[in-house]
Amino acid sequence: MRNLIISAALLAMSGLALPTQSAHAGDVAAGKVKAYTCTGCHGIPGYNNVYPTYKVPKIGGQNYEYLTAALKAYRNGERHHSTMELQATSLTDEDIEDISAYFASLGNDN
Amino acid sequence: MKHRNQMTRIVCAALLAILPGTVLAKGDPATGKEKSAVCQACHGLDGKSIAPNYPNLAGQHESYLVKALADYRAGRRTNPIMAPMAANLSDQDIEDLAAWYAGQDGLKDLSIK
Repeated sequence: MRNLIISAALLAMSGLALPTQSAHAGDVAAGKVKAYTCTGCHGIPGYNNVYPTYKVPKIGGQNYEYLTAALKAYRNGERHHSTMELQATSLTDEDIEDISAYFASLGNDN
Repeated sequence: MKHRNQMTRIVCAALLAILPGTVLAKGDPATGKEKSAVCQACHGLDGKSIAPNYPNLAGQHESYLVKALADYRAGRRTNPIMAPMAANLSDQDIEDLAAWYAGQDGLKDLSIK
């Protein structure tokens, strides 16, 4: 009975620990190289998108899973932005994972 | 007639010139914090999200946050969670929320190294 309780507790703990694990498929070093194009807009502090005018979003330290979802949504036309849709069309799943891993790695607190 | 057309053009140009300054009322971060209670469930207390599938908002550009919320509200950007969240926000709500999250410490500008 005691073993059962301990096992259940361990299972519960491992389940809780899962979402916080940052293991993902992306390669940060490869992503840094592939992300060079991105810095043309996302690497200029305060750079403005035009029509409508708003600042190009900061992505340094953004979450990996959010970044991969955003790039895939641009690639398959679910999310619209002319520049981003064109950029994303040429990306493979691996490119998206690597680029996302690189940007996610730039945060101080992620 | 030609003169009238010219006047119309001048008036239109003048109206367009003042438009960007008048459309957006300035956001108030303190009010935005109060309004952010429902956002915290996913985006965390101060815009650092509770799970990696939700974006961090802390430190994001104010104008981008305004654009994102307005796009969700208008249906230009689709997400099953964000659509109902944004549906009832006023322009002022959006400005306030954006001001609050933009003022938090978090996301980084990239620099070319």
